Amino acid sequence: MKKIVIIGAVLSVLAVFLLIIVAVTGASYNHLVKLSQGVNSGWAQVQNVYQRRADLIPNLVATVSGAANFEKSTLTEITAARASVGQMKIDPNSAPTDPAKLAAFEKAQGALSSALSRLLVVSERYPDLKASANFRDLQAQLEGTENRISVERGNFNKAVQDYNTAIKSFPEVFYAASFGFTEKPYFTASTGAEQPPAVQFDFNKK
Amino acid sequence: MTRIKTVFAWLLALFCLTAFAAEVIPPPPAHYFNDYTGVISPATATQLDRRLEQFERDTSSQIVVAIFPKMQSDSSIEDYTVRVFNSWHVGQKNKNNGAVLFVFIQNRKMFLNTGYGLEGALPDALCKRIIADEITPHFKAGDFNAGLTAGVNAILAATKGEYKGTGQTAAGPGNLEMLGRPSSDLSLFGDYTPTIATSVIFGFFILFIGISIAAGKKGGRGWRASGGSFSSSGWSSSDSWSSSDSGGGFSGGGGSSGGGGAGGSW
Repeated sequence: MKKIVIIGAVLSVLAVFLLIIVAVTGASYNHLVKLSQGVNSGWAQVQNVYQRRADLIPNLVATVSGAANFEKSTLTEITAARASVGQMKIDPNSAPTDPAKLAAFEKAQGALSSALSRLLVVSERYPDLKASANFRDLQAQLEGTENRISVERGNFNKAVQDYNTAIKSFPEVFYAASFGFTEKPYFTASTGAEQPPAVQFDFNKK
Repeated sequence: MTRIKTVFAWLLALFCLTAFAAEVIPPPPAHYFNDYTGVISPATATQLDRRLEQFERDTSSQIVVAIFPKMQSDSSIEDYTVRVFNSWHVGQKNKNNGAVLFVFIQNRKMFLNTGYGLEGALPDALCKRIIADEITPHFKAGDFNAGLTAGVNAILAATKGEYKGTGQTAAGPGNLEMLGRPSSDLSLFGDYTPTIATSVIFGFFILFIGISIAAGKKGGRGWRASGGSFSSSGWSSSDSWSSSDSGGGFSGGGGSSGGGGAGGSW
């Protein structure tokens, strides 16, 4: 009779511990899933704003090339940069896990950024173009889009930071990798982003 | 040599500190129209504030104007204002239908910042037009009253049909989403704890049953709860928020901005 009591008590204590372990792991697993989804949705937003910028370019090129004698080299540069951005095969729905892939994406987008800012600097030399309502609207949209890009990149980095911190914390550090939660790369400040673009006026090209 | 390096490192550290200290995010404003400089006549300020408050009742969109003496940040204006916007949580939580017109008098700069939900009604190009065509000419002439009245008119006209109102403001009485906090912050548990909490409770429940069965086999009395009802005293609503006047002032509804909008200088 006493044995049953002891066995019952031991079993129930074991069951409780097991339940607690399962529940804690389950909860933190759910937590990791949530953070990982946060990174993915941040990534989708980043893609979204970059796409918004890419969509502005045909209109911009059309407007600018309508201006008399607009520098052709600036325009071809933009068209080429946009084409290389469009060729990036990158899943818009899940954030990249490979730092090299993110770096390549960033590099392509960075090339487009500098081509665009060069175009805006060059356009200062065309008063008629600058005065046109169409160009002014486009310029406002471009500036707003660049600002959105920096905001969404910041949000994305914040989400990645939360996620990376979580998978490296106790107790997740023991099992995060076995559930497939690996570290995710950040956006880095693009090299040369802090410097204004160099502008060369090549009057011979046309 | 090392000494010079140390001194340099300290200087750099000091510079970093001051660089960080240089940015001030102003606290959430108390009104819809906030003039911290005194360039606007009180009559105009009150009138515009009333209109913006009524606008939130009618459409639920939160439009805020904030006039500061100068920008307290080394960042660019679009970068700084989006941080301020998001710390104020302008706009309703699920609609993100807020917009803030920031004016920095000494910098002679302004920025109209839109929340995610108003990017459709107030696209960047329109923001630019409002600033360049409606506001700037008056500001150049030194007439801030006329400039801001024209600006507010244009913003309200653009955003009028976008959302339906509830007849209330976020600061209005009986609204949990006041204080600019998302309502999820007010729930009893976060999103992480409940599973642990419930599982522990469940675990103890199993333990309790196990022991009672074991004890019951023994023929003993078992465990019995001894009276004492569980009273939840923590959530008696003390209703400390009863707003004293009907004009409750501004309170952010929990919206956020992704950096939309446009700026200009005069």
